Amino acid sequence: MIAQQLVNGVMLGAIYMLVAVAFTLAIGILNFLNFSIPGLFMVGGMVTWALLAQGWHWSIAVGAALLAAAFVALLVERLSYRPSRDADPEVPLASALGFLILLENLFVIRYGSDQLSFPALLPDFNWRLGGLVIGGAQLVSLAVAVALVLWLSVLLRRTNTGRRIRAVAESRETAVILGVDVGRLVPQVFVSSAVFTAAGGVLFALNYLQVSATMGEGVGFKGVAAMIIGGMGSIWGAILGGLLIGLAEVLTIGFLGADLVDIAVYGLLLALLILRPEGLLGRPAAREKL
Amino acid sequence: MALLDIENLAVSYGPVAALRGVTLAVEEGRITTILGANGAGKSTLLRAALGAVAPRAGTIRFAGADVTRLPVHKRVAAGLSLVPEGRRILITMTIEENLLLGAHLRPDQGAVRAEMAAIYDRFPNLASRRHMAAACLSGGEQQMLAIGRAMLARPRLLMLDEPSLGLSPLFVERLFGLIAELNRGGLSMLLVEQNTGLALGVAHHAVVLELGRVVMQGDPAVLARDPRLQEAYLGESAEPAPQPIPAA
Ligand SMILES: Nc1ncnc2c1ncn2[C@@H]1O[C@H](COP(=O)(O)OP(=O)(O)O)[C@@H](O)[C@H]1O
Ligand SMILES: [Mg+2]
Repeated sequence: MIAQQLVNGVMLGAIYMLVAVAFTLAIGILNFLNFSIPGLFMVGGMVTWALLAQGWHWSIAVGAALLAAAFVALLVERLSYRPSRDADPEVPLASALGFLILLENLFVIRYGSDQLSFPALLPDFNWRLGGLVIGGAQLVSLAVAVALVLWLSVLLRRTNTGRRIRAVAESRETAVILGVDVGRLVPQVFVSSAVFTAAGGVLFALNYLQVSATMGEGVGFKGVAAMIIGGMGSIWGAILGGLLIGLAEVLTIGFLGADLVDIAVYGLLLALLILRPEGLLGRPAAREKL
Repeated sequence: MALLDIENLAVSYGPVAALRGVTLAVEEGRITTILGANGAGKSTLLRAALGAVAPRAGTIRFAGADVTRLPVHKRVAAGLSLVPEGRRILITMTIEENLLLGAHLRPDQGAVRAEMAAIYDRFPNLASRRHMAAACLSGGEQQMLAIGRAMLARPRLLMLDEPSLGLSPLFVERLFGLIAELNRGGLSMLLVEQNTGLALGVAHHAVVLELGRVVMQGDPAVLARDPRLQEAYLGESAEPAPQPIPAA
């Protein structure tokens, strides 16, 4: 029983992990709490759903959803982040939040606000291991999430692009002096962050077989919580935080009841912040970025 | 033709005029030093040459091309490299990653490893800790890392902004030895220094800035004997930094 809960928690955590990594890229590199991310999560799920409903092949539907999210992210960069980069940090934050509300409402107008049922793309396949049951969708989610995160960590550690990104994250001024073309790098970071989030949205739909215009909200807040728990600006912290929140959520549902989920998750956040204000893997200095 | 040709350069930060019509030429293969009190505009001059601040007026030519409107990354690719004031090492990255960031724009990535090995040979303190965060280095070691990083860009002109600041006498001596050695290897340099005596000793040409203007320039040996310079920058009784004057 508890082993099964742990498995389910890790699977859910993989989705939070993607969202937390997306937030972390934005805050760590751009110093921008990008509140449009829950909207991109929703775009991932909803666009896939809408194109599947039109009869498109799943690969095209998912590809188009990721592209749509990347496109929206570029709009946010152009219209929200770039114009207010030199203003107070609240300004881009508020306009990104505006983007989230706008996106959600556009989808509500087009598709309504109800939960829509998402077709089961994977055959109802279960993998039994000892007493554990692991669903096909769960397995795919975990594999995709791990692959994306591994790709990101290799990119950041081993490539010139990765070193440029980390240089900007530590000091934009120094990065500029070293010849980093920040104007080109920033949109790339927005796009990567969007792809992570939207992939999370697709995986969510695949697992829970439903989507809605507001599906990003709960997940978005938990992604922020996961980022903070892990340590602001730390990619590995976001991964750890996402897994922890997924586990906390599933274990709470299993042992205490679904009503207590948010209390447990955000209680965990508060307790951790009191014990370790910089987050699990954060450096104290990184918090000055907020 | 000079390697770097600056004409009538004016830079302002809001109402503060930092450079007010600076004209100077940096010749190929030589060390040119820029002297001047705090706030004279020395760092601004280097930043403007690199493209990190936009000029209000004037032109900057590098290696025969007008670079006045080029962004920093294109100037770095063209061979301008700055060792900034305060070194600006990336402390969350390893020593090796800092060095690699110096070379990130080079098309010949294959040659970088060999040059890095040469830098490690020269600075064993960097080699033994290459995979540690650069925060572990002392000030002098960080300065060596900053110079190594700038060298890995394979510059045609290396600009150094107060490299001896805060270093122990031993490291200052090593630093000036290195500067002379790199120059003997053919590297052109633009050197901003607080340590006027040492800078005049190593340079081929000296320029004195005051409140954003060139007030003297010429042979370092001649300037070193100039009573005005001695009074202002060489003596014990250095004047306090003049206040910036707002732009007209
Ligand atoms: N980022 C900045 N914002 C506003 N004023 C600046 C800035 N940087 C330098 N200044 C001003 O410009 C003038 C020249 O500064 P700087 O080039 O740093 O001089 P130096 O390097 O010779 O000490 C000074 O008056 C300084 O206060
Ligand atoms: Mg200076």
